[in-house]
Amino acid sequence: MFQKLLTLAALLLIPTAVHAGSGLKIVATTNDYAALARAIGGDRVTVKSLAKATEDPHFVDARPSYIVALNRADILIESGAALEIGWLAPLVKGARNKNVLPGASGRVRGSVGIQLLDIPVELDRSQGDIHALGNPHFLMDPLNSGIVARHLAEVFCRLDADGCPSYQNNLSRFSQMLNTRMKIWMETLAPYGGTPIVTYHNTWRYFARRFQLQAETFLEPKPGIPPSPPHLARIIEKMKAAGMKVILVEPFQSRKTAEVLAGHTGATVVDVCQFPGGLPETPDYFSLMDANVNSIAQALGGVRSN
Amino acid sequence: MTLFDLWLWPLLAVVMLPGLLVYFGLHVVERGIIFVDLALAQIAALGVCVAIVIGAHFGGHSHTYLMSLLFTMLGAALFSLTRFRHPRVPQEAIIGIIYVVSAAAATVVLSQTAEGDEALKSLLLGNILLVGKEEVLRTFALYVGIAIIHLLLRKRFLMNSFQEDKARRMGVSLRLWDFVFYVTFGLVVTSFVQIMGVYLVFSYLIVPAVCGALLSEKIVTRLIIGWTVALVTGVAGLLMSIEIETLDLPTGPTTVCLFGVTLLICSGLAWRRRRYSP
Repeated sequence: MFQKLLTLAALLLIPTAVHAGSGLKIVATTNDYAALARAIGGDRVTVKSLAKATEDPHFVDARPSYIVALNRADILIESGAALEIGWLAPLVKGARNKNVLPGASGRVRGSVGIQLLDIPVELDRSQGDIHALGNPHFLMDPLNSGIVARHLAEVFCRLDADGCPSYQNNLSRFSQMLNTRMKIWMETLAPYGGTPIVTYHNTWRYFARRFQLQAETFLEPKPGIPPSPPHLARIIEKMKAAGMKVILVEPFQSRKTAEVLAGHTGATVVDVCQFPGGLPETPDYFSLMDANVNSIAQALGGVRSN
Repeated sequence: MTLFDLWLWPLLAVVMLPGLLVYFGLHVVERGIIFVDLALAQIAALGVCVAIVIGAHFGGHSHTYLMSLLFTMLGAALFSLTRFRHPRVPQEAIIGIIYVVSAAAATVVLSQTAEGDEALKSLLLGNILLVGKEEVLRTFALYVGIAIIHLLLRKRFLMNSFQEDKARRMGVSLRLWDFVFYVTFGLVVTSFVQIMGVYLVFSYLIVPAVCGALLSEKIVTRLIIGWTVALVTGVAGLLMSIEIETLDLPTGPTTVCLFGVTLLICSGLAWRRRRYSP
């Protein structure tokens, strides 16, 4: 018991790390916004992502560091399309930081200026885990990442005027890079225009629209509801009829389900991710999209040559 | 001082709320119905799932709280009816069956809607870090009420748990008293689960009671030992997860592991006590 008290006392004496840097302290709900914030903020900002890249962004369990980071943050970036509806509000409430309360100048909604798809006509939970504000997975369209980057640069400039030239500089570099890569990605996927693909969740709508694929078939019967046997049977029929040969799965989704379907239909399971860091060697947005585009193209190409 | 700034209510929750659970733990360990808390929590969760599906399919406001209360009472009735003495079927087997069937039933019910997943999670996976003032005070008020009932009726409850044979000889209506016991217990467990999560509820219930039983024969002494164990371990777990920033330990699991350590220490003390006592 005595030893225990000693440990306790020692723990209390460990000094709490103090962030002395003058730069903006940024918290992003997911790694994609964190990556964009790093690209625009550069050395002048410190960025922390709450959800891990391999974690389902719809469900995130609180850790002490999340609340501490939110407590000290100058800026909180969220999707703005209710992706984090299940977990963000109590964290922000617990953090007691007026900088990041809803409506505060440091609270950034990624969806500002973006045309959201799948906005439900009728709000009815029997339709599944739908997002009232529309499909929040819009960063999979690379052009939308350009819009978010511009928005971030504006916010950073407003809150840290001294750093504005640097943010503008980083933004133009990001935009140039985006233009170059976008051409490559379009060319890589161009041969497969109109091809239907299967995805686990309704994550790839924006991606598919930009690159002229069809991503309208999902392993989930409704968003957020795990696949049931009759639904999977219907998907198998549909895949065979339409000759769909590629199934996209993300790290936190059931790869096993996709593999079973692949076994029945001869399709290829492709590992993709929305979040930088979720696939090997994808530290930033560009390397992530490189990986996504290349593996999808490779899988579609393999189908063609058969 | 970030400790009291950010973590005041989690800290108060850890100090104020487990006391009653430790008391129930004494009963539960003595009766040998170790997993009844998990079963009750699961039944209450099933109630919430049913309420959600009714709400989703038939419209209108879903009365989740009422429904979880109703199911808790159903569970209490079920457990008081199954307190029998079968030579070959222990009550723990029935408890296990009730647990697993209600957990599976919740999944089946939820497959009919989308919303429930989050509700079920928030019901069974409370997170102590996110607890706020209203929740702590509301739960504490409930616990004070239940504590008063048990204080007034303590002789009945203690006899039914600790001297079952005597109670039977005296012709006490065990079923009726058990029903009251399980209803109050169910209320405590379900509200505690929402704040601390399933693992912590189980730890708070069982470990302090076992420590008390290891170190003393007297009920009052056991209760005091249990309260000390719960307080020290709970506060230490919370502080460890908050203060060791480099590790960023999840609070609930850290505390549960510490409870394991505490039990080891108590067993060591019990072994010494047996060895050196005349």
